Amino acid sequence: MVEVHALTKLFPTTEGGEKRAVDGITFHVKAGEIYGLLGPNGAGKTTTLRMISGLVTPTSGYARLAGVDAVADREAAKRNLGYLTASTGLYQRLSPRELLQYFGELIGLDRAAVRKRIEDLVRWLDMSEFANLRCGGLSTGQKQRTNIARALMGDPPILIMDEPTLGLDVLTNRVVLDFIRAEGARGKAIIMSTHYLDEAELLCSRFGLIHEGRLVGEGTLPELQERAKKKRLSEIFLSLCGKEEHVLDLGAGLGTLSAHSASGT
Amino acid sequence: MLNRYRRVWIVYKKELVETLRDRRTLMAMVVVPIVLYPALMLVLVEALRKETGRRQEERYQIVVPDEAHAAWLQGVLARDKELHEEQDAAQNTTHKSPDVDPTMGLRATLRSDKVDIVVAKPGESLWTLVDRQKYHIGIVLSPPPGAEHDNVNHVVQFIYRDTDPRSEFVHDRLNRILGAEADRIIRERVIKATGSAASLEPILTNSLSTASPAQQYAKILAMLVPFLLVTMTITGAMYPAIDLTAGERERGTLETLAVSPVPVGQIVAGKFSVIVTIAMLSTALNLGSMSAMVYFSKLDRIVSGANLMRAMDKDAVEARIEKLDAPSTGSFTQKYYLEQRRTLEAEAEKKVGFVTRAAPIVLLAMVPFAVLAGAVMLAVCSFARTFKEAQNYMMPVMMASIIPALVVSYMPTIRLEGVLLVMPVANIVVLIRELFLGNANPSAMGICLLSTCFYAVSAVVVAAKLYGHEAVLFSDVGSYKSLLVRRFIRPEPRPWPALALLMLAVLFPAYFYWQSYLVDPGESAARFRVVLGLSQILLLAAPPIVVAWYLKIDLRETFSLRIPSALHMVGALLMAASIVPVSSVVGQWIASLSPAFRSNDQLFEQQAKLLTSGSFAAMLTAFAVVPGVCEELLFRGFLTAGLRGRVSNRMVVVIVGVLFGVFHIYIEKIPIVSLLGMVLTLICLNSGSIAVSMIVHIANNSMGLLATQSERIRDFYGLSHDTGSIAIDGRVLMFAAAFVTGLLIITLVPRKTTTTP
Repeated sequence: MVEVHALTKLFPTTEGGEKRAVDGITFHVKAGEIYGLLGPNGAGKTTTLRMISGLVTPTSGYARLAGVDAVADREAAKRNLGYLTASTGLYQRLSPRELLQYFGELIGLDRAAVRKRIEDLVRWLDMSEFANLRCGGLSTGQKQRTNIARALMGDPPILIMDEPTLGLDVLTNRVVLDFIRAEGARGKAIIMSTHYLDEAELLCSRFGLIHEGRLVGEGTLPELQERAKKKRLSEIFLSLCGKEEHVLDLGAGLGTLSAHSASGT
Repeated sequence: MLNRYRRVWIVYKKELVETLRDRRTLMAMVVVPIVLYPALMLVLVEALRKETGRRQEERYQIVVPDEAHAAWLQGVLARDKELHEEQDAAQNTTHKSPDVDPTMGLRATLRSDKVDIVVAKPGESLWTLVDRQKYHIGIVLSPPPGAEHDNVNHVVQFIYRDTDPRSEFVHDRLNRILGAEADRIIRERVIKATGSAASLEPILTNSLSTASPAQQYAKILAMLVPFLLVTMTITGAMYPAIDLTAGERERGTLETLAVSPVPVGQIVAGKFSVIVTIAMLSTALNLGSMSAMVYFSKLDRIVSGANLMRAMDKDAVEARIEKLDAPSTGSFTQKYYLEQRRTLEAEAEKKVGFVTRAAPIVLLAMVPFAVLAGAVMLAVCSFARTFKEAQNYMMPVMMASIIPALVVSYMPTIRLEGVLLVMPVANIVVLIRELFLGNANPSAMGICLLSTCFYAVSAVVVAAKLYGHEAVLFSDVGSYKSLLVRRFIRPEPRPWPALALLMLAVLFPAYFYWQSYLVDPGESAARFRVVLGLSQILLLAAPPIVVAWYLKIDLRETFSLRIPSALHMVGALLMAASIVPVSSVVGQWIASLSPAFRSNDQLFEQQAKLLTSGSFAAMLTAFAVVPGVCEELLFRGFLTAGLRGRVSNRMVVVIVGVLFGVFHIYIEKIPIVSLLGMVLTLICLNSGSIAVSMIVHIANNSMGLLATQSERIRDFYGLSHDTGSIAIDGRVLMFAAAFVTGLLIITLVPRKTTTTP
């Protein structure tokens, strides 16, 4: 469903040089699969997801969504895609219902279909309490639920989620994870990136571990365990990117990778 | 699949709702014009009225050296009061005075009951008394009053402080009163000596304006309103332009929108329409509010009244001469003034409501400006990542719009012609003024609107290119460097439409300025040729080539640098041989359609003079070869390549042709040059080689040039000397057949190789 081949992105740096933010990443995600793209801050996860979504043009390589090239035919590729990030904003002066209607109409759904889809999503994501309030006044959890509903308006076969649970309370966190699992079970190809490795272990069927723009490991959990001779994802990651010693010195055993972002990435 | 207009409409609807729900927009758009302007104006008018009243109510202290001076001054003031009472009585019977003095306080005089005349103590210096602010003014007559004989002339010395407004006011009034007193004395002396006062004014000057009072009023508005409207439109458009671009980026919603399956062009079109709507709503509200304010505050009477002072009718002149002999107590000046004022008030009364009637026309003329302002703002704001950044970018845009508007406002003699036709912003300001004055020339108006729309389209296309660009969308994705540094630029086969249109939008006014600088009759022909040739190379050919190279755009593909096939070459030569008589006949036919398209003889002679001097080779190089090559590189090269693939080939031919026509500065040339441009674009597109269109273009210029020089060539082409009639004989038909054959060969015979689509 999603093909990513030798995806590379170079950025100019302020010093006049260039930085290889993503360096030849290749992976595939099948329908019904939840793929976890894991790595510390600045590893290149977000840029990779943006290239797959057609928001950023790759320097070389390509991404195909349901067979459509993300750059050559952006609109057709995006039609297969639901995209959600922790930083995605909402229109402050519209209500969730109006916002959903806007995106539904833009996708090309007819009026009746838009109305039905909104009612289904409002019920499913338990949004009826705030569906008619302005988005500007919603809580973080309510905003994220609205955002999920927005990403699902067109019922796309592919979902890309960049840190979907960042900054959420326990309750909303649960709603989001349940929803990802349910969508995977409905046969969608899902790519998610996260800092929370425990979450990823529970949810994802396959993993891509990114470090400094390169894919240092890829496969199912047993495959990765076998390769790194470690049990936990965090240990596997540190082992594969050669940072194990450094972390052990710090006496770490941290649950997230974000604390290590300062170590040269 | 949704059609594109429906999508633009969906974006438009949503953005409009959201913008109108924003308190800040409503403040800028509604509250300011509806509440603030009238409030400010009422305060201003009220303050003016209060000030005039207050000055009249004030007691003024005048110091004189002795009793004789005091008695003399009292006599003068009493005569002045008498005159004013007489005037007021006359006025009250005919017409009720408006609340506000139409001459901005001119009427306010010194009332004798408000004046204290104090005699200085012996030994006190008037200078010191006034300087110590004990009195407003001191007066000394030389020779002193009392010894009054018929032929004694007095010098009146005023001592006052011109930094004290009251001192200045009383000085001003006394000066006027003494002027009237002098009139009276002259009149008495002349009547005594000659028995008549008719000799007093041997020359009466009077100016009669053919403009109606409404037009005179419009003239004043024409100075003020365009500037105000330009400012208001920009203010109205600014907030939505920032909010819908940089604001959206800052709030994180741009990413959401960018990931939805809608082409950026359609999103930008929707947003652009909202900005124009808000700008026009804002302009309409401002204009409405201004009209209402002017109407209710009677400001129009003040403004028009002051202006109409200069206009008098013939009867008034005769009446004025008659009155010179009539016995009168008052001075002539005051009598005349009173009479004029009555006329003015009657006229002003008729004109009330003029602003309200003019409003719709003005509003209509503001549409292209709103379109341009909205487009430029959208493009500039699309570059910004944050609201604050966009606000900073807006400052130069505002200055660039307001300064030309301001400059043009203060240059009432500027007409809508020449360079001004295509000068952004300034052309619209002048157009509005011409509309107010009823002078607008339709073809000048057409060019002005066309060029404005062209700039607007270019700006919208640039906005679409920038909007949603990764460097603008994500601050962490490097920087703008990726847009501009050559290393990070991905090679492209052809320029993108935004770039092609931007190129033309920049070169267009630049080249116009240059051309108008060139059309200088004092210029020597040799220097003219060199400057013309260089300007063509530097302004038309070099920019597209340099830009294409820098941006790694395929030069061969962009400039159609291919060797044409032999058949296409034959077609080109056939067209080259026959284009002059064909275009001459078509040109005459176009000229017969409308006088606007008839060529300007004076201009033609001026050009011919420059053309006929110098060597043959130099002439051909400067007027045929260089323009042929350079214009082809820009129009058939860069511009055509930019549009190709984005619109149908038929549209490419029409757009490039019309832009080519408008690019040639003279209005009367536009239709024929547009047609030529279309033909050249068509043959370049079909042959895939710029050489084909260059050959025909150079042939057109050089053979046309030769035809003006040589009788033999004119005879060969069968061109009649009488340009007023179209003579179609066998020879013309033969040339037409050759031309059509050439065109058919090029359009019907396919190219050897296919290029990348």
